[in-house]
Amino acid sequence: MDTLISLLQIGIGAAIINNFVLHYFVGICPFLGVSRKVETAFGMGCAVTFVISIAALLSWTFTYFILRPGAPLPGWVWRVAGGDPATSVDLSVLSYIMYIFVIAASVQFVEMYVRKFFPPLYKSFGVYLPLITTNCAILFACLEIMKNLQDPTRLWGLHEALTLALGGGVGFTLAITLMAGIREELDMCDVPKPLRGPGISLLTAGILAMAFMGFAGVDKSVADALKRLTENGTPRVEHRTLNTEY
Amino acid sequence: MLATVTILLAAAILAVLAVGVAYVLGWANRTFHVAVDPKVEAALDVLPNANCGACGFVGCSEYAEAIARGDAEVTLCAPGGAGCAQRLAEILGVTVEESYPYRAVVHCAAHYDDRLLRTHYSGEATCASANLVAGVQGCTYGCLGFGDCTRACKYDAIHIIDGLATVDYHKCIGCKACARACPRNIISMVPFKQERMFVVACSNQDKGPEVQAVCTVGCIGCTSCTRRAELMQMQGNLPVVDYERYEGNDHFEPALAKCPRASMIYVGKPSPADLVAVADEQLPDRVEADFKTTVDETEWRG
Repeated sequence: MDTLISLLQIGIGAAIINNFVLHYFVGICPFLGVSRKVETAFGMGCAVTFVISIAALLSWTFTYFILRPGAPLPGWVWRVAGGDPATSVDLSVLSYIMYIFVIAASVQFVEMYVRKFFPPLYKSFGVYLPLITTNCAILFACLEIMKNLQDPTRLWGLHEALTLALGGGVGFTLAITLMAGIREELDMCDVPKPLRGPGISLLTAGILAMAFMGFAGVDKSVADALKRLTENGTPRVEHRTLNTEY
Repeated sequence: MLATVTILLAAAILAVLAVGVAYVLGWANRTFHVAVDPKVEAALDVLPNANCGACGFVGCSEYAEAIARGDAEVTLCAPGGAGCAQRLAEILGVTVEESYPYRAVVHCAAHYDDRLLRTHYSGEATCASANLVAGVQGCTYGCLGFGDCTRACKYDAIHIIDGLATVDYHKCIGCKACARACPRNIISMVPFKQERMFVVACSNQDKGPEVQAVCTVGCIGCTSCTRRAELMQMQGNLPVVDYERYEGNDHFEPALAKCPRASMIYVGKPSPADLVAVADEQLPDRVEADFKTTVDETEWRG
């Protein structure tokens, strides 16, 4: 149950509270570039979710076995080379080049696969796939996974990495679709001349980000409530006059 | 020791990864290869890739596929013109008849001063809206001058000059966007068999007195031109030029000379006389923006 709660916390955290776009400001280029129509924005969101999950799967595998401090592969090489068991080889410098490499390669692979076996799908979001290769939201997810594989006593499992990626993808889809809906409405508004175009788009994004700040702390409260539910059988929400944690 | 092992291991891992990924991608490229008709790719290379939609297909790639299937003529690409059609024909191994570039022609010659019974219109400043309102101007056929065509043109080739949509034939590529945008359907595509083309610049189908009441230049349907030029036929109350058999402008000189109104004009390249007429005029240098000021093509209007 604790695992489930922590997964929920990671997922909701990545999707809503620490939304990739609106909290960390990564993936801004597709967020502003492809948010003109709700349908294309949703397609882009789905494509990002798909690629981010695959990238998370691969990057978790590489990080867990090769890149993290105390990873099995370099440790084994170090012992075979006859090194001192007290020290170890740290390959985390390779993380960026490795992630970019893995993301680009997997996007290529996925593109070819989809083109062969799902031609209609390729037609509808094939154009977005190459764009996603350079999407920083995906690199960000990989780096976040790496950050949680640093401490040998508290290592993320594959399920946690995948939950983060899925949550992040869903959050991206949510943000870009909301933005597209607002921008469709904005077309009919009388925007002051100096703000037209990029100005009003960025203002909208800022206000959207501020709105999402309202979710701060929700994950912890939900986790607390669930924990109490599992311990006592009845949900009791602790009333606090002032939340000093956030 | 630690540094050496780290460097060697890093190099080895990246090398293995590179070889592995290259192998997998190469394998995938062969296994997942989708056979694309080489004609499609060749046709796509020849097409201008403007994706303007003048051919009637969604974009250049759709048109290329249609050509390769044999569903479409090779002459449909307006921006590519005759050269493009010729190369497409070579790819497909068909012969192409001589084709001419189609260019937009506005069938109205009335500037603000020529239009009578105009009233002040303060609604949304688009032709589409003004066209819904009765009495914006006397002539219910002619140009409204609110510039729907200008906004539709991606190539900056049509402008409202003194209330009349005027095509810049240096820039027009014949994509039909303006003709589709015009709510009064007064823009048509004419095959430019010469650099200067003779056109009837009026769309008013009403009888003479009614036209005279609303316009000082519009065609009154007197049939003086159709009696003098064989290639002109009356359709309703308007003469229509037969561009299929159009061969030269000389054929129309007698008709033009006898026209009691100013509803027949030459469009296209200016004649030497036109150039002499404006030779003295001092024009300021054109300032053209070399960047896009908006991130998208959304029309921002109050």
